[in-house]
Amino acid sequence: MPIFEVFQQTREGHAFTHGGQVVAPDAEMALLYAREFYGRRQESHRLWVVPREAIVEINDPDLLHPPAVDRSYRNSNGYSVRDRLRATRGAVAGSVQPD
Amino acid sequence: MNVTDNNNPQSAIRNPQSLEILLLALADDEFILGVRNSEWTGIAPMLEEDVAFSSMAQDEIGHARLFYQMLAELTGGDADKIAYGRQPGEYLSCQLMERPRGDWAYSVVRQFLYDTADYVRLEALARCSYEPLANATQKIVREEKYHLMHGDTWLHRLATQSDTSREHLVAALAALWPDALGVWEPLEGEEQLVAEGILPASFEALRSEWLEQVAPHFYNLDLEFPAKKDERSGLYVSTVEAVYGGRRGTHTEDFTALWEEMTSVYRLDPEAEW
Repeated sequence: MPIFEVFQQTREGHAFTHGGQVVAPDAEMALLYAREFYGRRQESHRLWVVPREAIVEINDPDLLHPPAVDRSYRNSNGYSVRDRLRATRGAVAGSVQPD
Repeated sequence: MNVTDNNNPQSAIRNPQSLEILLLALADDEFILGVRNSEWTGIAPMLEEDVAFSSMAQDEIGHARLFYQMLAELTGGDADKIAYGRQPGEYLSCQLMERPRGDWAYSVVRQFLYDTADYVRLEALARCSYEPLANATQKIVREEKYHLMHGDTWLHRLATQSDTSREHLVAALAALWPDALGVWEPLEGEEQLVAEGILPASFEALRSEWLEQVAPHFYNLDLEFPAKKDERSGLYVSTVEAVYGGRRGTHTEDFTALWEEMTSVYRLDPEAEW
């Protein structure tokens, strides 16, 4: 029997979080059971019920946790632009073309 | 006519006898069906349904508790004593509730027929002149929405899933129909209740409303509908005879067995403090 994943929203506007699963023959019954398991005690404002097979997954660690090689050259925080910025601002204020 | 005094709800009762009878009928229906359906706990067709159906059975017992508490306040009695401490002939539930659980189709269709009838009854009682009852039914009716969704889903499923499921459904409906009409067996003192606005409409009028509401379920699923509209009165009437007796305390042997089990712990020591 298909498995459905249930996502709960506790209040309007809040993010959905994964609540758990229900097993049901189809979406209609899955909703019925999702309400019973995840919405009977006023714990949910809205429920999403999704067939597990509709979920596409990525969990390859090479992709999600890339190896810790030095990539600092990709980040701008390796450079100090403060001095050049100050010089440029001064040049603009004094209507002098920077070099 | 409004006979309610907000400061003293008890002053609204001109005829406690008939109000008590109404409350007992409401409470006993819910209690006996709740007990019957709880028999499915652990043996339902699948785990999810086991939890859902058990929880609905618990809902019914919860509603019964509300009505028993109301009765206890009204009479200066004790809710447990009213629930468990009466003799079988003092229970006013209709006989629909006491029938053995049967197969799964029988139980879910019984729940469907009762819930749709209960919904009509509760909606009427929300306008009841006896305020505690009006307030309680407004709360209960919201819980019934889930029951109706459950019943509708299962009815549709049984009717369309396979030839076998449909056979079970048709057999269940035929067996249940005369008993389901018994929900609307006139109460003793009903005229008084209607006159005082405690019961905003007679059970006959409410039965017609119920028949009108369930008719589309039958038509949509191409099931034979055992009722028709009487052109003269404009009311829907059943073409099958109803089984009456429960509202006067007449029950079957199935009730006696159920009662013996249900009250067995209570009767060991009715005065025990738990």
